[in-house]
Amino acid sequence: MTQSEEQKERSYSSTRRDFLRALLGVGGAAAALASMDRLMANPEAILEAINRATGDQATAVADFPFALDPTDPPDVLLRMQIELHRALQKRPEERRWVMVIDLRKCVGCHACTIACVAENRLPPGVVYRPVLEQEVGTFPNVTRTFLPKPCMQCDNPPCVPVCPVTATYTNEEGVVVVDYDQCIGCRACMTACPYASRTFDFGIQYVDNTPMGNGTLLGQSGVAPMELLPVFEYGRSRERVPHHSPIGNVRKCHFCLHRIKEGMLPACTLTCIGRATLFGDANDPESLVAEMIASPNVMRLKEELGTEPRVYYLV
Amino acid sequence: MTKKILYALGGVALVFGTWGFFDRFVAGHANANYGSYVVWGLWVAMYLFFAGVAAGSFMMSTLDYLFEVPLFKGTGRAMLWAALITLPAALTSIGLDLGHMERIYKVYMRPNFFSVMAQMVWGYTIFGGIILASLVVAIRFPERKKWLKPLMAFGLLFSVFLSGGVGALLGVNASRAYWHVGLLPAQFPVFSLASGAAMMLLIMGWFAPPDTRRSQQIRVLGLLTVSLAVVKLYFLWTDFSQSLYGQIPHNVDAVNQVLFGRYWWAFWIIQIALGTVLPIILLLHPKFARHSVVAGWMGLLVLFGFTAARANIVFPALTVPELEELRWAFSGPHLTFDYFPSLMEWAVTIGITGGATIAFLLGLDRLPIFSSQPREVTQ
Repeated sequence: MTQSEEQKERSYSSTRRDFLRALLGVGGAAAALASMDRLMANPEAILEAINRATGDQATAVADFPFALDPTDPPDVLLRMQIELHRALQKRPEERRWVMVIDLRKCVGCHACTIACVAENRLPPGVVYRPVLEQEVGTFPNVTRTFLPKPCMQCDNPPCVPVCPVTATYTNEEGVVVVDYDQCIGCRACMTACPYASRTFDFGIQYVDNTPMGNGTLLGQSGVAPMELLPVFEYGRSRERVPHHSPIGNVRKCHFCLHRIKEGMLPACTLTCIGRATLFGDANDPESLVAEMIASPNVMRLKEELGTEPRVYYLV
Repeated sequence: MTKKILYALGGVALVFGTWGFFDRFVAGHANANYGSYVVWGLWVAMYLFFAGVAAGSFMMSTLDYLFEVPLFKGTGRAMLWAALITLPAALTSIGLDLGHMERIYKVYMRPNFFSVMAQMVWGYTIFGGIILASLVVAIRFPERKKWLKPLMAFGLLFSVFLSGGVGALLGVNASRAYWHVGLLPAQFPVFSLASGAAMMLLIMGWFAPPDTRRSQQIRVLGLLTVSLAVVKLYFLWTDFSQSLYGQIPHNVDAVNQVLFGRYWWAFWIIQIALGTVLPIILLLHPKFARHSVVAGWMGLLVLFGFTAARANIVFPALTVPELEELRWAFSGPHLTFDYFPSLMEWAVTIGITGGATIAFLLGLDRLPIFSSQPREVTQ
């Protein structure tokens, strides 16, 4: 690092600290930081708040390294958030939600998998977004590759026509969804899916066969109620009760439609520490995902099947 | 004596099965070993098996009531009764496999007719009605035999359609190379016919009253069973040789699973040795070819072989991962590519088989299945 770069870095560090101090000094912004979801739900307001907060102490933000202009946000998450809001202004059928996963940035931390499990309260054996790992090469030229695999949300989904009761279908936004109250649990869609993107809810709980722990946070008495909290998939609160949906249903990734509806990015996208997962409206030519899927290094899984997945990989 | 033994075995099976039904209804699918990767298990295989026997039995009943083959006159009711018992057995097996079997009415209320499964549900409903109507006419209104012809003609069409549909149910899955062959829906009607012939061999060999034509009937049924066994072997050869020659990894893996995998014995011992080769040898042997008891055993063995054959069509295609790394991607119950039915699954299947056996025997004892006169007259 050259001397000027070191100075610049020190200056950035200093101003960052000042900025954070300033930010923490402003109650409203600090409270907003306490809830990532709430923050992310309205990026323009956040940026405004930051500017307002830091504006009180002009010296602290004088050299702030990032542009705070909503049209040029400092982080892809903020950019995607702004684009999400823009897309939500359009009619549903005019949007084309796609996910882009940059395999060069994925570090295999599985945070997306866990975020998805937490967001959708997935029970044991149900997974929407496993990360496939592969060891490539021979010593000494060895590496590991990671491939997060959500539902591909195919434009020609093989899972849809096989459903005997139209419980699974492509909604107006192009996302393949499951109507839990209509699904009879025949699992024909699972055999049809070339990506194994669907799992069946066998009604198992994490605390099954664990000891009771009355009066503590451990064991069935403490943890079971947590598992029984309602899920909010597809925008409907639904308690997980034996013999009732979603138990006995086929379940799958739905791009967190319930979050999108509230102006929030999918849980996996928001949680990705490497910003490897991108999400947005491909019909918006200004969107990040539209830019990404136009790159020459883009691929989709099993393209030869003609399923036209909406999940793209950058390689 | 044979009936008494079968009643006893059926009773024991039903008692064991009751525990399985109880577990299934209380714990749902939690104690099953099929999962999210091996999606369909023993119950689906047994559905294919029983549905094949039902369709095949109906096909064989047309020898009497539609084609009026003199040699098989008087055998129609027994075969219709076999179809009427095995069809519910098939539907019970697949019904218990559903995550929400109480919602089956939705297939009638909001069907997707592009789905082979929806077509099958409607088809089975009509087919069940045809079998029942045919049997009622055959038993209660023998004087109105002309009604039987159109019923049997429609029923024959449905039995072919539904057999082919079972093949299509699997075959339409383009991503499963092992299933996605055009020949699969074409093979299944032949399999059904072979199941029906074996069922008829069993019924005529063990339960039919003495008749001067019996020996000849058994000889002809034996030859039919042998011919269809040879056709089955040819189908196996074409399937496996093309798969292995083509070297499509998913296909080769599935075939290798069948031939040399963990359950090689199900293919080589049950399906080939006991279910195909031994019946061919004994049914062609001059000493046994007309022997009723041996014929019954051979029919049973062919049917037993069919259970393994159905399993060998369903499971191997599902035990090959769509993406190899899925094996290790995420751990959890029901997320494995290995499959062997759980005790609960066996119990349910054994219970269904026991229940069907007892119901079939009760019919033989209480209904004029082999009598040419209506019940009122015989009483």
